[in-house]
Order: sequence, then structure tokens, then C-alpha cells
Amino acid sequence: MNGREKTIAAIAIVTILFIISFVYLNDYYSFINRMFLAGILASLVCGVVGTYVVVRRVVFMSDAIAHSTFGGVGMAFMLQSTLGWLWFDPMLGAAIFAIGAAAILSMRWTRLSVREDSVIGVLWVIGMALGVLFYSMVDPRKVSLISPESILFGSILLISEETLWMMLAILVAIYVVVFFLFRDLQILTFDEEHARISGLNVPITNFILLTLIAFTIVALIQLVGAILAIAMLTIPAAIAGTFNDDLKSMMLSAVTISLILTASGSLLSIALDTPPGATIVILMGLAFIIVIFARFLSHNKKMQTSLES
Amino acid sequence: MDSDSKNKSVISLHNVTAGYDRRPFIEDINFEVREGDFYGIIGPNGGGKSTLLKVILGLIIPMSGEVRIMGLSPEEGRRYIGYLPQYTHYDRDYPISVWDVALMGRRSKRGISPWYTAEDRDATEEALESVNMLDLRERNIGKLSGGQRQRAYIARALASKPRLLLLDEPTASVDPEGQECIFNLFSKLNKEMTIVMVSHDVGMITSHVSKLACINRNIVTHDEPIITQEMLEKGYSCPMDLIAHGDVPHRILRNH
Repeated sequence: MNGREKTIAAIAIVTILFIISFVYLNDYYSFINRMFLAGILASLVCGVVGTYVVVRRVVFMSDAIAHSTFGGVGMAFMLQSTLGWLWFDPMLGAAIFAIGAAAILSMRWTRLSVREDSVIGVLWVIGMALGVLFYSMVDPRKVSLISPESILFGSILLISEETLWMMLAILVAIYVVVFFLFRDLQILTFDEEHARISGLNVPITNFILLTLIAFTIVALIQLVGAILAIAMLTIPAAIAGTFNDDLKSMMLSAVTISLILTASGSLLSIALDTPPGATIVILMGLAFIIVIFARFLSHNKKMQTSLES
Repeated sequence: MDSDSKNKSVISLHNVTAGYDRRPFIEDINFEVREGDFYGIIGPNGGGKSTLLKVILGLIIPMSGEVRIMGLSPEEGRRYIGYLPQYTHYDRDYPISVWDVALMGRRSKRGISPWYTAEDRDATEEALESVNMLDLRERNIGKLSGGQRQRAYIARALASKPRLLLLDEPTASVDPEGQECIFNLFSKLNKEMTIVMVSHDVGMITSHVSKLACINRNIVTHDEPIITQEMLEKGYSCPMDLIAHGDVPHRILRNH
């Protein structure tokens, strides 16, 4: 770690400690405390995985995975309602659909002359349509149904203690995989041809990467919702990408940016009484626009000075 | 028997036809590279230069014919190859340092172990040293000049300690002084390893290589690096714009 990375890591740790002490010093309802803790866990996951999403340019592939989870949630409720499988958790359904989508997307469709972005679009709408269809088959008296709005846009009332444990488990699993496969994922995302020549199993590594994305989205659904999950996955990493020359420091910066924006967004949503998921995403969007604008200004300035000299 | 036959065969293509989607890009290629060769391959765009390299690397399975690398199949033999892709191949926005790029060259030696060893780091350092890039090891790859970037990728190819260097348009993004520097590097490396280079830059290539081939679906090989009037007439079955410096006049070849 160089000096700059140490500074960023220090900011991240201070932010986490600040959020935790804030949570314990304030006498909020427990679901608000859980929202802040979920924000920490979500940031730790999406800063790392989001960096791969951004450098490999698979934002829309990830979005297809995110949308397909709606079908999985619908399927879980449908099974609960029609077969009485009350153990079938909506997040289990979401995970099954997300991994299924990851598997479909990691197939080499171009071999069949099918364009990749067509597959992305089809998967996206089929997942959503299946969700709508399954929801219509549910008898709301038989199951404790979560509304489609809550799944798509998030709801802090959904964040239970089990949700936090699930997020923690996903966090640990993803960190272990990235710890062991960091170099291989770097080769794959930088130069797939070199990966193949070097004897790396490209289809499997690619599927692992998409599976990491799938689990990240499942972890994000309850905080910001399936549709807004892509914002948390993409925006902090995209901002970090504008000022980082190294994958690890980009991940570190993305986590830190996400921690700060998620915590501020959560606070703002309490203060303004707005939906937290949407508030966090809008704040992230604003931060992104400000960063782009600042870069535009500094770029213009550089151009001007180079023209004058 | 000429003297070259004594040297071991490094690449051997026998009646190879290959392409994409059942459409052959190269047809019935017979091509032999021997140890110590510095082989230049020229040809028009779309003539099958890159296809040929991909066949050698085992990235394309030929429709017919046989490919041997150091007497092995391409999948087996390519671990002896250091490959330099075209410069357009890379994402310049990718956040990665020169060191990490060069270290990637060691991946084929690493097996399934997730980390690099001290030996890998030593070989990478040596490779960067040999291309004069060790000082810039911390630099981001996107912030280098064309020549520096190319040398970083050459270091990656060298890090695996290859027996054969396969170069795809190595000087395409490099300014003239940088080009001379890179070609001198290749001449130096050629003392230790076989080199096969694909290029459209006929003038530069002929002054450094020891053998020459021209590919345009079919291949025509020459054991001499000099383009003469006679060779142009006889050898090149490819229509191409040829602008060379020195003895060869500017000329456009007709389609034979």
C-alpha cells in the first residue's frame, strides 16, 4: 500500500467507525440502525465487485442480472402460495434467477450469431415479465407478500437481522473469492486473449465473475432494490475510476466513496423523510455528475494552458 | 540441404486451412520456422496475417492441416511462445501498472496457484530491465508513449522466458525513433530466441529480418530478407502498396 492508498483506507475505516458509533449513540428505531449497517456491508461488497463491472464494461449485463431477480422473487412467492413451500425465501428465488442469468450470459452466444446485447435485453424483460406473471398467481392471504415496489426500489423495512447476516455471508464469500482469484480476474478483465493463451479457464472465470455480480445484487436488493442496485454497483466504481491508476486502489476508493455516499444518503432520507434507496441513488448520481463536471473544467483548463503556451 | 535444416523446427504448418464461420481466411499454408530465425511476415490487410498468428497460438482450430509448435500441439506448445498482440487490442483506460502487465506474462508458468512467486517476480524484473522499462514499473500503462507501451507488452511476452516471440504489428503505434529502438531490441533478442513478426511496414521489416514471407490467403516464403526487383515480380502473389526506403523504388504491385 502506498501513502495515498493508506489515506483512503483510513478515511474508509473512520467512516465505518463513525457510522457504527452514530448508530449506537442515537436512539433510532432498530430498522434505521439496520439500514446504516446494511449500507456499510453493501458498500464493502459493491466497491470491489463494481470495480470489475466498470473496468470490464459489463454494466448492462449486470443490470440484466438485477432485473431477472424480480422473476425469482415472484417465483418464491408463487411457490409459497401454491405449494405451501413457506421455507422458499424470496432471496433464495432471487439468487437462483441471478445465477441462472449469470450462467446464460457467460455462454458464448456470438458462436450462434446471436449478439450479446440482444441476449441481455431478452433476459432483462423475461425476468421482469416472469415476476409479474408469478405475482399474479399468488394468493396474498396465504403468504406474507412483499410488494413489487419494495423489491424493485428497496425498502428499509425489509432489512431484518437475517438480511444483515445474509449480506455478511455474501461479503465474506466474495472477499474470499476475490482474494484467491484477484490476479486471474485482473488478467480476464484486462486481456481475455492473453488469459486464454496463458491457460486460464476463461469460460469458468467469466462465470465466476458474473456469479460475484449476481450475489452482490442479491445483497443489495433489500437496501436499494433490484432496479437501483446497479447504481450502487456502478457509480462509486465509476467515480473511483476517474482518479485511480490501479485496480486495488480503485476498489479501495470505490468502497470509501460508497460508504460516504450511502451513509449521507441514509441520513438525508431520515431528515427529509424520503425513501432511502432512491435518496442514496440520487446522491450518488449527483456526485457522479459533479465529478464529470469537475473533470470537464480541469480538462478545458489544461487545453487552454497548452494552447496558450 | 541448406544450413537451416540442421536447426530444430519451432513452428511447422502443414497444408493448413483456417478461418472463421467455415470461411477460410488462409488456405493450404505450408510454413516452417526454424530455431534462430527472425521471420518477417508481410501482406495486405485482410490477407490472413492475424489468422495465421491465431492458428499458431491455438486460438483458432484449423479446418484442415497440421500445426506443430516445438513438435507439440498449439495448446501444448504455446507455453514456449511470448506473444505481442496488436496495440489496438488494449483498453487504455484500464487501471493497471506496467509491473502488473509484465507480471501477467508469468501466468502460464503459475498453474493453479493463486499467487506469483519470487521466481515470477525476478523473471518479470529481468524482462522489464531488458526492455529498459524497469524505471517506469509503477507507471499506469495508459499514460505511456506508444513506444514505451509497446516495450511494456514486449516485457510481458519476455517474462515467460519464451523460446519464440510472436509479434503482431509491433511498431504500428510507435514513432520513427522508437521503431528503430524496438527493432534493435528484437535483433538483440534474436540471439537468444526465434522471432516471427507480422508487419505491414515493409521497409523497416526487410532491414532487420533474416527471412521473409508474404501472405494473402496463400503464403510465399523467401530465405532472403532483401526485396529485389526479381523477388517482387516472382515472389509476391499479393497485390499491395509497397513504399520502401533505400534500394527499392516506390511501386504498386499488380495482382498476379
